[in-house]
Amino acid sequence: MFDGTRDQTALVRMEGLHKSYGAVKVLQGLDIEMKRGDRVVVIGPSGGGKSTLLRVLMGLEKVDAGNISFGGRPYITVRNGKTVIDTEVRRSIGMVFQHYTLFPHLSVLQNLVLAPCKVNGEGTASAKARAQALLDRFGLGARAGAYPAQLSGGQKQRVAIARALMLDPKLMLFDEVTSALDPELVAEVEQVMLELAAQAMPMVIVTHDMWFARNIASRVIFCAGGVVVEDGPPEQVLGKPIHERTREFINRVFHIRA
Amino acid sequence: MDYVLDLGAVTRHFGPLLEGLWVTIQLTLAANAMGLVLGFAVALLVLSPVRLVRLPAVAFVEFFRCTPAIVQIVWFFYCVPMLFNLYLGSMTMGILALGLNLAAFNGEAYRAAIQAVPREQRDAAVALGLSPLQSTLHVILPTALRLAMPVLLTNGIVIFQQSALVAIVAVPDLMYEAKSLATKTYRPIETFTLVALVYFAVSFPVSQVVGWLERRRAVAMA
Amino acid sequence: MHLDFSILPRFADALAYGLWLTVRLTLICIVTGGALGFLLALARRSGSRLLRAVSTVYVEFFRGTPVLIQLFWIFFCLPILLGVELSSFVSGVIALTLYTGAITSETFRSSLGTVGREQMDACVALGLPARVRITSVILPQALLRATPTLLSNAISLFKESSLVSAVGMADLMFVGQNISNNTARPVEVLTAVALIYFAVAFPLTRAVAVLEGRILRKLAV
Repeated sequence: MFDGTRDQTALVRMEGLHKSYGAVKVLQGLDIEMKRGDRVVVIGPSGGGKSTLLRVLMGLEKVDAGNISFGGRPYITVRNGKTVIDTEVRRSIGMVFQHYTLFPHLSVLQNLVLAPCKVNGEGTASAKARAQALLDRFGLGARAGAYPAQLSGGQKQRVAIARALMLDPKLMLFDEVTSALDPELVAEVEQVMLELAAQAMPMVIVTHDMWFARNIASRVIFCAGGVVVEDGPPEQVLGKPIHERTREFINRVFHIRA
Repeated sequence: MDYVLDLGAVTRHFGPLLEGLWVTIQLTLAANAMGLVLGFAVALLVLSPVRLVRLPAVAFVEFFRCTPAIVQIVWFFYCVPMLFNLYLGSMTMGILALGLNLAAFNGEAYRAAIQAVPREQRDAAVALGLSPLQSTLHVILPTALRLAMPVLLTNGIVIFQQSALVAIVAVPDLMYEAKSLATKTYRPIETFTLVALVYFAVSFPVSQVVGWLERRRAVAMA
Repeated sequence: MHLDFSILPRFADALAYGLWLTVRLTLICIVTGGALGFLLALARRSGSRLLRAVSTVYVEFFRGTPVLIQLFWIFFCLPILLGVELSSFVSGVIALTLYTGAITSETFRSSLGTVGREQMDACVALGLPARVRITSVILPQALLRATPTLLSNAISLFKESSLVSAVGMADLMFVGQNISNNTARPVEVLTAVALIYFAVAFPLTRAVAVLEGRILRKLAV
């Protein structure tokens, strides 16, 4: 598999990303450079392009213009108006979605071993052993045989994270992973993410939860109108934003919360 | 294949086929009128909290849904006159047999639609101080009707096709005329193909309208 | 009038024979029609315009015409066109297979459509290649979701198969009508026939409803 760790400078470099759905322009020249060890939290108003940014980075959406490189290697480029995705690079990125997207017809364990066995050709026994170890670590060891419909939202989301980790990703993307959860289940998922953060897993997180953002981020990006408005350490962007639009947004969010 | 098609053999006898089509359409329309009204009554009975009301209605629906239409029609034509000593003319008998069948299927469609009206809608009606009758009339009914519409229409086309079964008990509908024409002219291929196309020409546009309605609703709900 | 159900036991063997033909016909056509329906569903989603057009016309035509006329066509026209005699059982199987294929293709098609885009996203995010996406994720879910409707189709087929009595096949309905004519006891005999159909179909519909509830609960994620 492609190893993005050799390059010592940037992990991800996004340049001039443009994307529109019909007449609606969602990304309008987005530039972001992400270093190894960065834990980027992307915040901003709905429709500001946060989720689209993650989906583009995962190779789920086409782009109209711009390019992305990963570990110094071209990952997504636009040639003659067509989006070209290096699927080998894509395999080193993992993603967790708002609505879990577990495979409902497979048990927890089967959800975890499907990709390693089918994509990487790993033996079933070794994949199952790794999956069980991962589930144990996330406090889900006893639920390996359960089906997704038998789990709580928090458990499902932890399984989804474990499933993505089975492929040893070099970068993890989290798209509003706690938004669909009941408030009392949010903490167990955030705990798992903090644990990953402690192991220096590079991540890009889209969230509405400013408290969690402050806890986990090494860097916060405020996106609005399809461009990066402000980019800096959490103390700056969430505490003393420089840009007027960021300040307005932060004030509004914290005002509603308080 | 040595068979030489002779469409003229069939088109020369267009008169009886048209008469047959007219009978088929009358059967369909009358059965639908009956099915739409009676079906709703059946649904209300099926949903009744009173066991004594509910059970016979459920039995009616299940019986018609779980036996072949052809058995129902033959039973109706042979047994009703004997049991009740009454014969109403083949057209009326055909309408009643098809109409009762449709009432059972439409009753099921109405029931499903009424139960699919979101709980919140009822709660909102109660919160707004509507009486049970008012909320049924002004909130549940309109929503349920709209929800049931595609299935009711589909059932309506199905009964148009099922109406061909009355040919077996000698009601002179399109199918019956086709059978006698095929026998008379020794031209089964031309006759049955043409008549199949006539049935298709009626049911296809209606099914397209149903598909369009469903897509529109899917968009509206999204 | 005077009803006498005691005449029925005499004809139990004949009715059982008719029911056996009905059941055989149904079971065979579930398999052949299901296979045809699956192929048609694939054809309707294929990239080839021609395949899509042909399969769509086929399905719409068989759904848009009475089964009775389809049966008549196969029984009376197909032998002329092919220039060979077909046994009535073969004709019945062909006719009901063609019809069931059209019906089940719609079931397969709509169940393939219900596997959400999010499942597709998850497949991409996990790097699953197209073949694995289809065989391990999309198809199993689509088949699971289609199962209750397929079983309902099978019950419908059990009922629809009674139409073959109109072309002289000795199924349950045909045998019943014969006995009814010979004994001049239509009320007793036809009621018994209706009850036999009901006794088979009704428990099956209940079982399908239970199964459907279970499957939907499992897939509700």
